[in-house]
Amino acid sequence: MAAVADTRVVQAPRRAARQRTGGRGTVWRWVVLLIAAVYFLLPLIVAFRFAGIKAFGSVISEDGFTSSLGLSVRLAIITTVITIVLMLPTTVYVHLRLPGIRRLMESITILPIVIPPVVLIVGVLQIAPGSLKGTPYLLGLEYVVLAMPFAYRAIDAGLRSLDLKTVVEASNSLGAGWTSTLMRVIMPNLRTALLSAIVLTVALVLGEYTMASLALYQTFPVWIYVNSQTSGQVSVAASLLALFVTWIFLMAITVLGTRQSRKTGGGSVTLFTVARQETRGN
Amino acid sequence: MTADITGNTTRDAAAANGTRPATGARGTSVVLQNLGRAFGATKALDGLSIEMAPGELVALLGPSGCGKTTALRIVAGFETADTGSVLIDGKDISSVPAAKRDMGMVFQSYSLFPNMNALDNVAFGLRMRKIGTTDRRKRAGELLDLVGLAPQARQYPHQLSGGQQQRVALARALAIEPRVLLLDEPLSALDAKVRLQLREQIRTLQQRLGTTTLFVTHDQEEALSMADRVGVMNKGRLEQIAAPDELYDQPATAFVAEFVGVMNRMPGELQDGGMVTALEVGVPVMNQGADVGPGPVDVLVRPEGLRMEVIENGNGIVTTRTFLGSVTRVGVLLSGDVTVQIDKASSEAAALAPGTSVQVSLPVDPVLVAPRK
Repeated sequence: MAAVADTRVVQAPRRAARQRTGGRGTVWRWVVLLIAAVYFLLPLIVAFRFAGIKAFGSVISEDGFTSSLGLSVRLAIITTVITIVLMLPTTVYVHLRLPGIRRLMESITILPIVIPPVVLIVGVLQIAPGSLKGTPYLLGLEYVVLAMPFAYRAIDAGLRSLDLKTVVEASNSLGAGWTSTLMRVIMPNLRTALLSAIVLTVALVLGEYTMASLALYQTFPVWIYVNSQTSGQVSVAASLLALFVTWIFLMAITVLGTRQSRKTGGGSVTLFTVARQETRGN
Repeated sequence: MTADITGNTTRDAAAANGTRPATGARGTSVVLQNLGRAFGATKALDGLSIEMAPGELVALLGPSGCGKTTALRIVAGFETADTGSVLIDGKDISSVPAAKRDMGMVFQSYSLFPNMNALDNVAFGLRMRKIGTTDRRKRAGELLDLVGLAPQARQYPHQLSGGQQQRVALARALAIEPRVLLLDEPLSALDAKVRLQLREQIRTLQQRLGTTTLFVTHDQEEALSMADRVGVMNKGRLEQIAAPDELYDQPATAFVAEFVGVMNRMPGELQDGGMVTALEVGVPVMNQGADVGPGPVDVLVRPEGLRMEVIENGNGIVTTRTFLGSVTRVGVLLSGDVTVQIDKASSEAAALAPGTSVQVSLPVDPVLVAPRK
């Protein structure tokens, strides 16, 4: 008992020292948080004050708003569908059959971020078939390339949290073919990862300006820019609305992802992070 | 019993939907014919042939990389053999995809689908066979009950322990009334106590359902205690396949002898005429391989195959004594720096303290010999 008492005596000042250090740490955390909040929120507050409440009401009635937003939404749908249809089976196949080229895939899929969009669109416009030019599909296909890094990483993170090979073999041995395995086993377990890929793709399409502008499409971001020349307040209001909608999307993915994760015990999958699921002992 | 658990409805419904009904648990024979498989320059399987009788449980035992898992995966349809074929009830299924082989498989890692609860996991194979919701839920419930997990039906895999997950995996594999049950080291990730419980449960269920079962393990205790016959594999080849007691008492090769149970190696001199001299005694040689010829050899004897008595100035000195329950394993240092293990009844081992001089002798029973190490 004496030894225990002695230890306590020694530990008490240490604990106090830790508490003092912890107190300083907490203060610094708040300082950093405050600086970050000012950095990110101040422009939004200023923009909101500049636009004024009335501008939000008149955004919808502005010329070109509906058509540009409609085009952006169509592009978002086209891009998302093509991206998922291409990237999901590809990533699953790489994980299952060609795990050795995963690093190569990571390098390849990062290229669209490294290569400036202007280079991509100028090159594509030179060689694109005439039937595609002027249709949203041309821009949609370009956006698929831009979305590839984000979609690949989101799906890759989801697949890493799953013992894919065993689960696929178990499914096969129970009589499920490839389609059933993909639809009933793999996709439900990648729900959060797919949702991440979709949200990132949609956010990218709704915010992309360079390619759309150079290819002469009036998407929502292009409309915001063009409109800012005539009505700055309405343009800023539209930007804030777009930002708010994207933020709502990201919150939705976090909430849905957490709910799904709690239910199935899967690792917490956010946009690019993943944690393996744990088993409750033996 | 099979009908009680998995019912006739499975087959009726499957037949009505045009899918091939399971043939029933009893009566499926499995033949592996001269299977060969190479990965690059490495031969994983080199002419493996096994015949399994209907309802038999055969264990493939061997060290890592001996080809046992490759053999199992070829039977399951996850690997393709370079040579040879797999016959189920006399029909070659080598070109049949895994999904259409009607084989239930339990994997080493917990292979439950994380998005489904225990009941839905068990019902998955029935769903793939287009069994109606009511029937498949009823049957899945029966199978969960069979493995003692009915109360956990609504729990997700992450809410179950490792042992429970493997029991659900077993129920899931059995739910489809597999023609053959394949077990790929299903117990190796579990702790000792759960492993013991589950292996007894697997054996009881397998015997009750009469499902022909191929079981892969590197744990000899598991193989010997569960299987009707055990096949010992080494470097892609089947060294011997026999009943557990035969494998232990009459190993065909030195590898089998040393892999199964504990085996002593002592120096000996092989004579012409199938006799070997060791510990100054001439004994007949059992299953003499082509790799040994007259001259110095190692004689292989089990700990219970050696005799020992306390004597002054004997040929050995006791070095260790390990209590194993009814027997005590005694380590004896012989001349020539050779140590052997000898089993004695624990009641007689009290006098064998380390340092005691003993006389070790060899009974005149046939022994195995191996090239001198």
